[in-house]
Amino acid sequence: MKRGAHPTYVLTQALQLLRGSPWLATVSALTIALALTLVGLFATVMFNAGKLMQDLGQSLALSVYLQESASEPDIAAVRTKLEGHEGIRKVKVLTREQDRERNKRLLSSELLQGLDEAAIPGQPVLEVEIDAALASRGDVDALVKWTQALKGVAAVEDVEFGAEKLRLLFALVEILRTIGIVLSGVLLASSMFFVFSTIRLAVFSRRDEIEILALVGATPGFIRLPFLVEGALQGLVGAALAAGLLGLLHIELRGLVRDVYMLNVAWSLLPPGMIAWLVLGGPAVGLAASALSVGRYLKL
Amino acid sequence: MIQLYHVHKRYPNGTDALVDLTLRVREGEFVFLTGPSGAGKSTLLRLLMVMERATEGQILIGGRNIHVLRDASVPFLRRNIGMIFQDFKLIPRRTVFDNVAISLEIMGLGRKDIAKRVETLLDGLRLGHRLDALPGDLSAGEQQRVAIARALVNEPAILLADEPTGNLDPDLGNDIIQLLLDVGRRGTTVIVATHDVGLIQRYGMRTLTLARGQLAEDLPRQAPLRGGLERGPADRLDLLGQAAMVNPLQASAPAAAEPPAAAAFSEPFAQAGESTAVPAEQTDAKREAP
Repeated sequence: MKRGAHPTYVLTQALQLLRGSPWLATVSALTIALALTLVGLFATVMFNAGKLMQDLGQSLALSVYLQESASEPDIAAVRTKLEGHEGIRKVKVLTREQDRERNKRLLSSELLQGLDEAAIPGQPVLEVEIDAALASRGDVDALVKWTQALKGVAAVEDVEFGAEKLRLLFALVEILRTIGIVLSGVLLASSMFFVFSTIRLAVFSRRDEIEILALVGATPGFIRLPFLVEGALQGLVGAALAAGLLGLLHIELRGLVRDVYMLNVAWSLLPPGMIAWLVLGGPAVGLAASALSVGRYLKL
Repeated sequence: MIQLYHVHKRYPNGTDALVDLTLRVREGEFVFLTGPSGAGKSTLLRLLMVMERATEGQILIGGRNIHVLRDASVPFLRRNIGMIFQDFKLIPRRTVFDNVAISLEIMGLGRKDIAKRVETLLDGLRLGHRLDALPGDLSAGEQQRVAIARALVNEPAILLADEPTGNLDPDLGNDIIQLLLDVGRRGTTVIVATHDVGLIQRYGMRTLTLARGQLAEDLPRQAPLRGGLERGPADRLDLLGQAAMVNPLQASAPAAAEPPAAAAFSEPFAQAGESTAVPAEQTDAKREAP
């Protein structure tokens, strides 16, 4: 006796509700698509930025160039100072000759032709490897400050640290993340508002029908279900559109990156499982919005 | 089947629609409910459908006290009560078939089962050729037959009709009453609210008259005067057709071999018996009152 509504019936009714206000339903689906596309894009950016920073963090190195005149004890003193510091994984000393060898390798043979061996620059260098785990923003900040202080040491000529540029990148990503979250939130909220309005309109236009259904003995759940499914369907259509858009974008971007920058990028422009999240998220957004609307306007 | 004990209904604006109303309608009985406008006819039907709750008193339907019925149980009570309205209350966007099918859709029946039962019943009501029509395309008489089909298709134990002939011209009104009488003959309890005294006199069924919310008269069933039941079956064929004369309800549901009234009342009313009945003297006294 307490069997629920037949799925065919619910779906038929939900589709008829959609037909009742096709334009508003289309706008709802489109705003959901827009919101989800944006969410997807930001997810992609954040995902790749995270990966990029991880990579950068791993190759984070500090080069301490010493004065050409630096003596052995000077070098040893700086080395001890570095090794005692937290976050320094390894310190490797390159002598004047080793540095010259490295420079020779880096310069093209054409350039070196006829050049006196002594003319090739070389100076003692301390190659410092930094713990990748420290590559999170705050630690890098502290490290940057500390390395700047190293410049004050007499034997040190210069300190080169990629993290200074990295710090900018971190800040940019942080700003981007905030913008992404705010914008996605606003868009999701407005798309929910559109679904909410569509369902409210549908409820108002079916007042008579709702009353009749209640009179012949339909349960509140039976009466509400088609409206909820209508909202979920709008979300599903939006999600499908967003998935398609992101897929296209993915293909375009990957081609662009490969052709223009000739980069063999290992980055995923579409994080794994995102399509699945979209396909679940769209109907969930639609369902939540229609549930709010039905709860507010479909009183039984 | 239907029992009211000292039922009082006061609306928020202070009007008393029903005042200390006690009455009883037996299972399978056909009753006219009459009285001037505002006497409380519609209120009584609304209370039986639990569209409203009584302010005081008890209402028992099939032995169950609906005064204390939880809201969640109301839909299941309504499935046992078919209701017909003066304005038909059909859904304009849905076809004749779909309008009737609603009563079965809400019970979660399968498509095939629904189609069979709806089509058989509508065939019996001579509406078999209008399955796909929209209510707006039908005549008033046809619309009321669709509404009756919707009320009957799930074989309710009780059929309530609120001014079912109010929007119809007299001939069509007569046909509708004939149809309701046929339903009553099959064991369904039928209550027809109408202020059309001429209509009531023609059939001589039990008549409850309300006045200012009180039972003013309880006229027992009399031998029909003229016309009415004496009209031959040939007349009824206009409405029910040959197939339907056999019994459209049972023909539509071969499984339901037992009388529809008994079959329709399921779990909630399984224990419905005469044990809760009003003492006989009480109703008899009422009857003799006028």
